[in-house]
Amino acid sequence: MSKILEASRAGALAAPARRPFRIRAFLERESVFSWLMVTPPVLFLLAFLGYPFFYGVYLSFFEREVARPATFVGLGNFVTLSNDPIFWQAVRNTLLFTAVATVLKAGGGLAMALVMNQSFRMKAVTRAMLLLPFIVPTVLSTVAWQWILDPGMGLFNRLLVVSGLATTGPSWLGTPTMAMISIIMVNTWRGLPFFGISILAGLQTIPVDLHESATIDGAGTWGRFRYVTLPSLLPVIFIVTTFSIVITFFDFQLVYVLTGGGPANSTHLMATYAYSLSMGAGQMGLGSAVALSMVPVLGLLLVLLTLYVRKD
Amino acid sequence: MHATYRGKRMAQPTQSKATRRSFLKLAAAGAAGVAAGPWVSRNAQAKPVSITFARESSYVKNFDVHFQNVMAPAYEKATGIKIEYQIQAAGGSAVPQLVSMVENKSGADLAWVQQEWLYRDALVDVSDIAEEVGKQQGGWYDEIKLLSVDKGKWKSVPNGNIGQVMVYRKDWFDEAGVKSFPETWDAFLEAGIKLKAKGHPFGMSMGHGFADNYSWLYPLLWSYGVTVMDKTAKKVALDSSETAKAVEYVKRLYKEACIEDCIGWLDPANNKAFLTSQISCTNNAYSIMVSAKRDLPDMGKVIAHGLNPKGPNGQRYHALVPVTHGVFAHSKDPQAAKDFLRWMMDPKQYRPWIASGDMYFAPYLHGFDKAPEWDIEPRVKPFQKALETGKLTSWPAPANRQHGEVVNRWIVIDMFTKACTGTPVKAAIAEAVKQLKTIYG
Repeated sequence: MSKILEASRAGALAAPARRPFRIRAFLERESVFSWLMVTPPVLFLLAFLGYPFFYGVYLSFFEREVARPATFVGLGNFVTLSNDPIFWQAVRNTLLFTAVATVLKAGGGLAMALVMNQSFRMKAVTRAMLLLPFIVPTVLSTVAWQWILDPGMGLFNRLLVVSGLATTGPSWLGTPTMAMISIIMVNTWRGLPFFGISILAGLQTIPVDLHESATIDGAGTWGRFRYVTLPSLLPVIFIVTTFSIVITFFDFQLVYVLTGGGPANSTHLMATYAYSLSMGAGQMGLGSAVALSMVPVLGLLLVLLTLYVRKD
Repeated sequence: MHATYRGKRMAQPTQSKATRRSFLKLAAAGAAGVAAGPWVSRNAQAKPVSITFARESSYVKNFDVHFQNVMAPAYEKATGIKIEYQIQAAGGSAVPQLVSMVENKSGADLAWVQQEWLYRDALVDVSDIAEEVGKQQGGWYDEIKLLSVDKGKWKSVPNGNIGQVMVYRKDWFDEAGVKSFPETWDAFLEAGIKLKAKGHPFGMSMGHGFADNYSWLYPLLWSYGVTVMDKTAKKVALDSSETAKAVEYVKRLYKEACIEDCIGWLDPANNKAFLTSQISCTNNAYSIMVSAKRDLPDMGKVIAHGLNPKGPNGQRYHALVPVTHGVFAHSKDPQAAKDFLRWMMDPKQYRPWIASGDMYFAPYLHGFDKAPEWDIEPRVKPFQKALETGKLTSWPAPANRQHGEVVNRWIVIDMFTKACTGTPVKAAIAEAVKQLKTIYG
């Protein structure tokens, strides 16, 4: 035993002098440190976003029913969908829903931010309150909306009747047009604070000097808004709108709880239809194909966003 | 009534033949194991510690309470196997949960297998239990076999039917001069017009739900002599002139007798509208009466149940909403789960359990046709009649995957709602027929 020890000690002494390996120095090397920092989120994204996404892509090329093996059908699912009137209705509904809700949220959010940027009493409390729709879980707030939109007992119709504006209020979820208006309204209500707060943050970065010099140049309130505020806010509005489009496009909970896609599919969105096909009808492949059909539109938007950000 | 059964001692579980045989084998192996070493003897003692049983929560709370407080402990006492009762939230989330259990091959050992056509291949054959239970308790209703039996084998054991009938306000009907519940759909429309004129419209669910819309629209269609598919599920039977008459009828009923909102209603909506006195009649399980008796005693007294009216073919029908139990092939010990299922369906356990739910889950067994449990409340009795005239929504075709697709895409329901919202009747029917042809290919 001791002989071995001696031998190794002798060997160590004989070795040429080398900088000892120090773990700390290794970790502090930028190439190592940056990878170390990036690895957990990348793994996280791969596991929880990448895997389901690529599995979805894979499934969309197969006829895959629950509890059964998959059969490769190539683009068969997409061909089936192209002949499916409910799918096309869901596409139309999704585009309409996203377009109208996003415009309303962007306009409303800008107005909200401009008001919130003024000084008034209880400003902080009001700002906090305005965030509520965004904070409350969607399923919960949608159940509350179910009550608000109830034809007889609901808040809206009670207000209309009590104030004498109408003898009976409309059926908010009972006709195809009103149901679409209602889901757009609830989505706008929920998404408004996101726009409001983000634009407010943008507003506060606009230097006061710009406004002052515009005032000296004779600009009124409208002029200052048109030529100073709005151009300075455009980057923020652009980014928030793009994010919002993505989120609105994928909206599921709200419609699922409020209408289930009815009446007569008038509020079926691509997300709710994909769910009905996969989880209800057990057609995993077809459902994935519906979900995947959303990707090109969103992909285009993301490319635009990236290009815009790069340009700056 | 059910109190009679409650205090009784739970029976010892009957071991299936297979178990007895495997028990003998294991015992023999165990005996050999003493000599052969630890590996064999460990296997000989193998016995599941617990069995997980998943079920959607019951509207009648006592049904779940009875299971948890009486049945589960009794089984554990008798066998040493703990029963984990996994209650799933009601409202549509149970099916995705079951689907993911099947897909991931993990989760419960046995369950209320809702929409079992989606994953029959992942359930074990329970013919031995079903046949034994049928023989012992008066025989099964034939209708339920279209769901539980697949290719000659029972893939689930029917537990009960959640009956759906007409729920109406007797006081308002009387006021409007409608002294007894209408016998025909025409009389039903007439009554609806009268009641709507008095400010008490009907509220017949027609939205994207899974029970209260199917439970009157399908029986109505059948009583016009139309079914969706033929018996073989090969030919679309909906394409008929009688369908047009049924759709025209629903259009009139909706416009002249119903609250406008009902066209978009999901399943909970008619309960809410009824309990808030907005409607005078709807089609539902007796959950409305349960809630009213509990929370609104005055209303509880004036609620009555009526059978679905008869149609032009002189028949009346009801839609079955089945509860069936199946054992997953992925279970670590399917045999143990089957033994538990057999024990649950033994009359000694089954009768008090069903009684504890006040017949909300009505057995598909003829042995219960005249059971005293039906007399707990006269207003519960129509649900027995509903069972007698009940059909599955796939009827006369088997309840298979294609049928599931029709249900989950609301093809037939939306045929009616489209016509109510302006699509010409012929076009609405043609669209439904086209989709049915694609689905059944």
